[in-house]
Amino acid sequence: MKPAEFTYHRPRTVTDALGLLATLGDDVKLLAGGQSLGPMMNLRVARPSHVIDINDLSDLDSVNVHLDRIEIGSLVRHHRLATDPQIAATCPILSAAAASIGHYAIRQRGTIGGSMAHADPAAQLPLIAVLLDAGIRIGSRNGSRTVDAQSFFVSSLVTDLAEDELITSIEFPVFSGQSGWGIEVFAQRQGDFAIVSVAATVERSAAGVVKSLRLALGGTGVVPIRLTDAELAAVGRAPDHALTEEISSIAAAAVTADDDARIPVAYRRELAATLTGRVFAAALQRAEGASVR
Amino acid sequence: MSDSVRITLSVNGSGHVVDVTPRRLLSDVLREDLGLTGTHVGCEHGVCGACTILIDGRPARACITFAIQMERHEVTTIEAVARDDVYSPLQQAMHEEHGLQCGFCTPGIIMTFEAYLRDNPDPSETDIRDVLSGNLCRCTGYQGIVAAVVKAAADLRRRP
Amino acid sequence: MKAPTDTFTQIGRALPRREDRRFLTGQGQYLDDMAIAGALHATFLRSPHAHARIVSIAIEAAAALPGVVKVVTGHDLAAWTTVLQMAPPIDGLAPTAMPAMPINKVRFQGDIVACVIARDRYLAEDAIEAIEVDYEILPAITDLPSAFAAGAALVDDAVPGNLLAHQSFAAGDVAGGMRAAHAIVESSFSQQRQTHLPLETRGCAAIWNDGRQHLTLHIGNQAPHPLRTQLARRLSLSESQVTVICPDVGGAFGQKIVLYREELIVAAMARHLRRPVRWREDRMENLQAACHAREATCRTRAAVAKDGRILALELDISEDFGAYSFFPGNYIARVVALILTGPYRISDYSYEIRVAMTNKCGAGPMRAPMAMTSWVMDGTLDAIARRLGIDRLAVRQINMLQPGEFPYTMATGEVVDDITPTQTLAAVAESIDYAGLAARRKEAETRARFRGIGLCSVVESTTYGSRFYKEAGIAGSGHEAAWVRIEPSGAVNASVGLMGAGQGYETSLAQAVAEGLGVDAEVVRINLGNTDVSPYGMGTRGARGATAGGGALYLCARKAQDQVLRIAAHLLALNSAVDLRLTGAKVQRLIDGAWSETGVALADVARISYLDPTALPEGIPPGLDFSLTYDPPPMTYSNSAHACEVEVDPQTGRIEILRYVVAEDCGTVLNPIVVAGQQRGAIAMGLSGSLLEQVYYDESGQNLSSTLADYLVATACELPNFEILPMHTPNRRTPVGIKGMAEGGVMGAIGALTSAVNDALAPFGVTADKLPLTPPYIRSLLRGRI
Repeated sequence: MKPAEFTYHRPRTVTDALGLLATLGDDVKLLAGGQSLGPMMNLRVARPSHVIDINDLSDLDSVNVHLDRIEIGSLVRHHRLATDPQIAATCPILSAAAASIGHYAIRQRGTIGGSMAHADPAAQLPLIAVLLDAGIRIGSRNGSRTVDAQSFFVSSLVTDLAEDELITSIEFPVFSGQSGWGIEVFAQRQGDFAIVSVAATVERSAAGVVKSLRLALGGTGVVPIRLTDAELAAVGRAPDHALTEEISSIAAAAVTADDDARIPVAYRRELAATLTGRVFAAALQRAEGASVR
Repeated sequence: MSDSVRITLSVNGSGHVVDVTPRRLLSDVLREDLGLTGTHVGCEHGVCGACTILIDGRPARACITFAIQMERHEVTTIEAVARDDVYSPLQQAMHEEHGLQCGFCTPGIIMTFEAYLRDNPDPSETDIRDVLSGNLCRCTGYQGIVAAVVKAAADLRRRP
Repeated sequence: MKAPTDTFTQIGRALPRREDRRFLTGQGQYLDDMAIAGALHATFLRSPHAHARIVSIAIEAAAALPGVVKVVTGHDLAAWTTVLQMAPPIDGLAPTAMPAMPINKVRFQGDIVACVIARDRYLAEDAIEAIEVDYEILPAITDLPSAFAAGAALVDDAVPGNLLAHQSFAAGDVAGGMRAAHAIVESSFSQQRQTHLPLETRGCAAIWNDGRQHLTLHIGNQAPHPLRTQLARRLSLSESQVTVICPDVGGAFGQKIVLYREELIVAAMARHLRRPVRWREDRMENLQAACHAREATCRTRAAVAKDGRILALELDISEDFGAYSFFPGNYIARVVALILTGPYRISDYSYEIRVAMTNKCGAGPMRAPMAMTSWVMDGTLDAIARRLGIDRLAVRQINMLQPGEFPYTMATGEVVDDITPTQTLAAVAESIDYAGLAARRKEAETRARFRGIGLCSVVESTTYGSRFYKEAGIAGSGHEAAWVRIEPSGAVNASVGLMGAGQGYETSLAQAVAEGLGVDAEVVRINLGNTDVSPYGMGTRGARGATAGGGALYLCARKAQDQVLRIAAHLLALNSAVDLRLTGAKVQRLIDGAWSETGVALADVARISYLDPTALPEGIPPGLDFSLTYDPPPMTYSNSAHACEVEVDPQTGRIEILRYVVAEDCGTVLNPIVVAGQQRGAIAMGLSGSLLEQVYYDESGQNLSSTLADYLVATACELPNFEILPMHTPNRRTPVGIKGMAEGGVMGAIGALTSAVNDALAPFGVTADKLPLTPPYIRSLLRGRI
C-alpha cells in the first residue's frame, strides 16, 4: 500500500499555485490536509502525476468576520473551525459540524477547502455549505468567481472546479439572534462517514410559528441536498407534531441512494425521517432560547 | 522515474538531511531513514492511528503524510516523550493503569494525548473516549487507557 | 518445602508489567523495526477474482523494472517447497493438500498469484502492477447453500460436494426426551465472518546463511517450535537447519499460529536468492487474505418440561471454512459441540456438524474459536423462557449444575470440576440489579428507549492436554516445556515454549518461576520466542499460557529449588533439606515452628555450583540448569457469568451499552493486573464482534471489507467500562490451581449483549438471531412493529 510516483510542487504564494495549475495539465491534485487524498494515493485509487502542496499558502488560512457573513479561508483546518470562538459566535452550526468530523488527529490536518473539493456526499462541511447557501470563492490565473454551494457540488466526488482553479475561501452567513440550529450525523461508529446526516436552522416569529426553515440532508444521494419542499411547507406553521411528520416524510422521500452491501435504502429513509425530526426539535429548542446557541 | 530530492527534516529537535522520492511516506522515512521505529504503521490509510506523530505540536498521521512535506516543519515522535529517562505523566499512568498490552498502538495513543492534554487539562471521560476513538486498540478494551489519561491529566494539573 | 496450598508470595502479586518500558518509549522491537542489511522486499500479486483458472502469467515486464530482483509464480515455488497435507486421521474429515502458491487456479479474491522480490516495497508494488495474468473465471461459491447445491463447482477438486467435514454424535435418549417434552423450542444463531485484526499485520524476514546452510526466520508468531517443524518440512530442511525467532508481536489473537504460504514463500526466496528477504503484509492484504473466522450457524432443538428444565437437546452446526484448510476443518465446530452444555445439566444430547469450503479466505481459530457456544446455549435458554413465559434467570438456575454435583461429566464425556456457575451467576445478577430492571425500563420508555438486561454463563475450555488431542484424533500434543537456569551470580533465566503478543508473559511467568524457586519475580528474566533458546513447546494457543506454561515453569523452578536446598543442607552440615526453604533468594530453616535465616543465599549455592563444584554434595552435578516438561489434564475449565444492560433506540436501531458486569472464576491467577487486562480485552473483542465487525463478500466473491473504513471494529466510544467481580476457586488438578482464561470474555460478551438486546426488543415480539447487531439489522426487525 504505497503511492505511485508523482512530481511534487510546493508553491509559496497563491499566484504561484495558480500558475502551476494553469501549466501542469489535468493530471494534478492539490494537497491540503491530505486526509482523503493520502489514503487514496496509498491505495493507488488516486495516482496524480503532479501534486501541488498548498500548505504554505498562508493567505488562505484566515477567518474574517464581516457584518453579515463570515469568510473562512480554504486552508483553515477542522480543529480551528470547531474551536475558534469567533466562528462559534457567528456560525455555531459550522463549529458543531466540524467537531464531529473524523477524529482529533484528522481534524488537526483536514481543511475546509479540501473537504469541499473532495465532495464526499456524506461529509459534514458540504452539508453545512448547502444548508446555509455558502458561497465558494474560487480563484484561477484568469480571475476569481463565487459559486453557491448547491451549484458547486455536481455529483459524488465531483465539483464545479475547473482544472486550473482552486478554492480560496468559503463564505457563510452570520447567524441572526433568532436562529436555532440542529445537526445529526449518524454513523455506526464515532468518527465514521455518516450513513445519513441532517442539518437545520429555524427562526420562529413572536407568535411561535416558523418564520423560516432551512433543512439539508447528506449521505443519501450523490450530493448533499436542501429539502426546499419541507422548508416551504414549514413557513407560517406551528412547529407541531404534524409539521414534524410532514417534513420527516419529505426527508425520507428525498433519499436517492441505492441499497449497498451494508445499508439498505429503506433504512436510510427511516433514518432521514427520524433524524429530521430530531434536528428540527433541537433547532426549535435553540430558537426558543434565542440566545442559546 | 522521479529523482530523489535532498531535504532537511527537523525531528525531535534535531536536523536530518535525507534523500527522498516525493512519494516516500513520512512513516517510512522516520522508521527506515532515521531509525525512529517507535512510530508504528498499522493501516497506511489513516484510520488506525498507530502512526500518529506531532507536526508542529499537533497530532497527525505519519502514514498519509509525505516526508517531503515536512521541510520547515517540526516533527515529534514517541522517542522524544520521556525526558532524561523519566516517563512523562501519561507514560507513567499508562504503565500503572495497564493501558497497553501488545504495545503496537501505544505510541500513537501517547502522541495524541500528549498534545490533547496540553490544550485540555481537565477532560471528562466522554471527552477522552471521543479523542481516543481515533486510535484503534485490539487488546485492552480501552478501559486502562481511559483511566491512564484521567490520571495523567490530574497529575499534570497538580504540576506548576 | 512448602506445599502449593500455602500462601503465595510471588503468584498473585499485582506487579506492573516489566515489558511496558520499551513499549511506552518507542523501543519495542517488532518485526519491521529490525534493520536487516541488504534485505529485499517481497510483495504478492493477488487474485482479483474469487474463483478462476490461471491461463497464463506474463512476468517479463515486471521483472525488467528498476529495482526488481526476481518475479516468481507457483511453478517456481513447487520446485523449492513441498505441499501441505492436511489429513489427520479424523472421521468425516476430507483430506486436503495445498502448495506454497497456487499453480492452476485461484480460490478467493486475494489468493496469491505471483511474488515480486524488489529493492523496496514501493518498487515492488510498481512491479506487481506490471504483471499480466489471463484468468478463466469460474463460478464463485460464496455461501453454504451454493456450496452444498447439487452440481456445485468445487472449491477444492479433491473435496467432493465442498463438504470438508461431517461429524455427528449422540448420547442418552434424545428421541425419548423429545417425546416426553412439554414443548420443543427451536432456535437459530448465525455468526458472521470476522477477522482477528491484530494492529501489527503479519510479516516475516528470512535470512539464509549459505555458508552454514542455515535458515533464520524472524516472525511474529504464537507457536515458534511447531512453526519451525512446518517450515523445515516444507523446505526439506532438517529442524537443526532452521531457527525461528519472534520479536515483539503486535497482537495475534490466533492469526499467527500456522505457517502461512506467504511466509513459506519468503523463506524459500531467501534461500533461493541467498539474500535476506522480508515481507510486511499491508492492511488490505491482512483483511482480505490473512485468516478469517467465526462464520457459522447453529440451530438448537430443546425438549423442555413445563418448568423450563431441558430434557434433551439437539445441536446442528454448519460452518463456512473458506477456500483453504490450514487447520482441520472439523476442529472449531467440534469444540462448540463438545462444550455446548457447559454449566447446565443436560444428559441427553446430540449434535451434527457440517463444514463447507467456499471461495473466501480460509478460516481458522480466532480468540475463542468456540466463541458462539455460550450465546447458543444461553440464547436457547432465553428462547425457552420466552416460550414458557418464565423468568430468564429462573430458567438458567433450574438447569444449572449445583455445587454438590461436581465433578460432572457432560454428555460428551467432558468432565468439569472446581467451577462455580451458580455463584458467578448470582453475583452478576445482584450487581447489575436484575430485580430492579422494571423501574429502569419504565423510565427509559418515557424517553422512547427500550432497556434490557442480558445474562450469559460461560464454561471456557482453556488448556487442552495431550489426552484431549489423542481422543480428538488430532496429531499434536498439549504438553509444554520449560527450563530454569540459575546463573553463577544467582540471577535467574527461564524459558518456555510459549510466545506472547501482549499477554504480559515477561511479568506473569516470572512470577510463576519466582514462586517455584523462592526468589522475587524481579530477578527472573523470561526468554521467549527463539527456537535455539526456548525448549520445544506447543506455543500460545487457546488459554493455555498460564496453566501449561506457568505450570511447567513453576514445576521446573520447584525442581531447581529442591537441588538448591540439597546443596544448602550440605553447606549447613544438615542431613536433609526437609526443614529448609528458599525465600527471597535466601535459605531459611524451620526451627521450633519458626523460619529463621541460615546465612546461606542462593548466590552462595550458585557460586559453588558453577565455580567450586568439588564442594557440592555427592551425586549433585555442577551447574544449576533444569528442564522439565508438563502435560496438563486432558482439559481444564474456568467459568464466568456476564451481565449487561443496554438501551435500544427503536427509531435508529442503535444499541447503547450502559453497564457491563462479569464475575469470572479463573482459579489462581499469576498476576491480577494482567488477568484483568485479558478479561477486558476479551469482552471488548466479543462486543466489537457482536456490534460491528463483518467481513462482507458480494455474490461474486468480492471482499467489500478490505479497509479499516469498511471492516469496523469498536472504538473507545462504542465500549463501556467493564466491572469485574473477581472469584478464585483453585483447580485441584493443576500445579498451583491455575485454570486458564482469556477467551471466555469473548464468549460471554456475545451471549450477554445479544440476550440484553433481545430483552429490550421483547415488547415488540422480535428476536435478533444474527450477528452483528447493527442499527440497520435492529431496524429491520422492528420495521412495521412500531
